[in-house]
Amino acid sequence: MKLVRAFIRPEKEQEVVLALEGSGFPALTKMSAMGRGKQKGLRVGDIVYEELPKVLLLMVVKDEDLSKVESIILEHARTGNIGDGKVFVSPVEKSITIRTGEVEL
Amino acid sequence: MKEIWAIIRREKYTETKRALDKVGCGAMSIHSVWGRGKQRGFIMSDAESELALYATSAPKLVPTPSYLVAEGATITKPVVYVPKKLLVMVLPDDKVEKAIEAIIEVNRTGHYGDGKIFVLPVEDAITVRTGERGEEALTGG
Repeated sequence: MKLVRAFIRPEKEQEVVLALEGSGFPALTKMSAMGRGKQKGLRVGDIVYEELPKVLLLMVVKDEDLSKVESIILEHARTGNIGDGKVFVSPVEKSITIRTGEVEL
Repeated sequence: MKEIWAIIRREKYTETKRALDKVGCGAMSIHSVWGRGKQRGFIMSDAESELALYATSAPKLVPTPSYLVAEGATITKPVVYVPKKLLVMVLPDDKVEKAIEAIIEVNRTGHYGDGKIFVLPVEDAITVRTGERGEEALTGG
């Protein structure tokens, strides 16, 4: 299993979540985050925004579903401009459902 | 070293903290998050079993923006996000099982929404104050 962390534009959240839902991945956790990338924020004329608001989506998916989830996020979160976000993938060793105690490796 | 992510009910959070203190895993980061699982946040199908359990959490439910869009689409159930606490802990290998047991013991109610625990590998840990690395950073004073 893999943990997918997707930092996306807040205005794209709904589109991404709906697309994931439609493809059968309804389970996710979201939190709002502030951050910046290698462009060190955003500069509009004289005004510099050092940190920009993002939505962080956390999903744990099976290895075989990973590429599908990735491509859905990429397709729907992309605008082509700086600040579209990043997707990080980490390995997960074990997942436990508290209600049933069911363990997935 | 392992990183443990526990996504649990908000009302169980204080109790979980106490239980983790008891087994010596008191160090953690806490986030307030919104989430949903395979049931898409839809809890009412389970409501007849024990309504009282949800009396505290039900008013806090917030429909997602997607609910409005989803109404006309193929999704028949309302889709909502449920408020959750996310606990993140980095523990030495020998404490992992103890911590998992403690979390499960406190949080299991047998109803949907009890949460999930994820175990991730961690490569290194560093205490900023002392510069200790690896497991020393977790156990050292």
